Amino acid sequence: MVEWSLAIKICVFGLSAVFVSLAILIASIYVFGVILKNLEKNTTKKAG
Amino acid sequence: MIDLILTTGAVNLTVGNIIMWLIAFLFIYLAIEKNYEPLLLVPIGFGILAVNLPLTFLMEEGHGLLWKFYHYGLEWEVIPPIIFLGLGALTDFGPMISNPKTLILGAGAQSGVYIAFFGAILLGFDIPEACSIGIIGGADGPTTIFTTVHLAPHLLGATAVAAYSYMSLVPIIQPPIMRLLTTEAERKIKMKQLRPVSRKEKIIFPLVTVMVICLIVPASAPLMVMFMLGNLFKECGVVKRLSDTAANELMNIVTIFLGISVGATMSAENFLKPQVIFVFLMGLVAFSFSTAAGILLAKLINLFAKEKINPLIGSAGVSAVPMAARVSQVVGAQADPKNFLLMHAMGPNVAGVIGTVVAAGVFLGLGG
Repeated sequence: MVEWSLAIKICVFGLSAVFVSLAILIASIYVFGVILKNLEKNTTKKAG
Repeated sequence: MIDLILTTGAVNLTVGNIIMWLIAFLFIYLAIEKNYEPLLLVPIGFGILAVNLPLTFLMEEGHGLLWKFYHYGLEWEVIPPIIFLGLGALTDFGPMISNPKTLILGAGAQSGVYIAFFGAILLGFDIPEACSIGIIGGADGPTTIFTTVHLAPHLLGATAVAAYSYMSLVPIIQPPIMRLLTTEAERKIKMKQLRPVSRKEKIIFPLVTVMVICLIVPASAPLMVMFMLGNLFKECGVVKRLSDTAANELMNIVTIFLGISVGATMSAENFLKPQVIFVFLMGLVAFSFSTAAGILLAKLINLFAKEKINPLIGSAGVSAVPMAARVSQVVGAQADPKNFLLMHAMGPNVAGVIGTVVAAGVFLGLGG
């Protein structure tokens, strides 16, 4: 007897985990990109 | 004299053994003559041949040589994570960091995993077996093996061979689906050139990724930790020896043991079952739907995005690095020879590897 509730839980949680984790990664890439850019700007200003 | 004859393998041969020998010869032929995944199919084929030689007891629990490779290499979860270390050391996440929204295509292409998961349940497989079959859709051999060893070890031979077979058949399976789901105009879409990615960004990426993914899906940690460690070796630039070893010698060594261990699980009594045909069938369903989902998601993004994505790069979200990205390039170039999609497709391609590991982590966490 298949446990359909478990199967649906695996599917919903699985797809959500894939999308959420990759969406957080996208956000993280943008955030550390901006932080690095600002750090580089500050370093250039100081050097100037 | 009769006793002596009875101790030989020849008199203990079964029809099943002979069929498995033919399968072994086929794999070795495909590897050598057709160049289909030769690094895997040669040791797998030889492992199949060896384990189907009667009375050799190579897979006898506790004693057999191949059982020891299987037990300590696969059951102890050693080999797939080491392969991931090597993959990390070979992977360039630059194209993905340069255009992060392509990451979502790697997520979309995991949909086929769940379609095959339900398909397998409808065909009568239980949930752990269905998880092992569904993950074939990720087109990632080590992840498929890692998941199957945990959840349905009796299906290991079938799922591993299905995963590697479909990976080598990417150039045959994907293009018809890609042409069916896209228009000529869509295939001609040219994407903006990718910006250069700094070394600092490439070093931060594996650190952030391992934290994000393992905090959300802890069961994916063995693969993700090793994947990102390998990538950090590559990108930090100060451990070239470790990076080279992980990407070359170490990966080659474990590939030998991976192949022969997988082949060794394919004894006649294990493999010659109707359910193996269903595993291959569902693997193909998973793979085809994953390809389609990646393309359709790219088309959906185009409805809202200012800068259009060529939907052909969506199919690369199935992993199968770098073969799937190359297929995107080839199909794109057929529509417009001046369109270079390869680097754009590498983004979803490597994102697909991460997506498959997350999907496997959920299967391991909930499906066991």
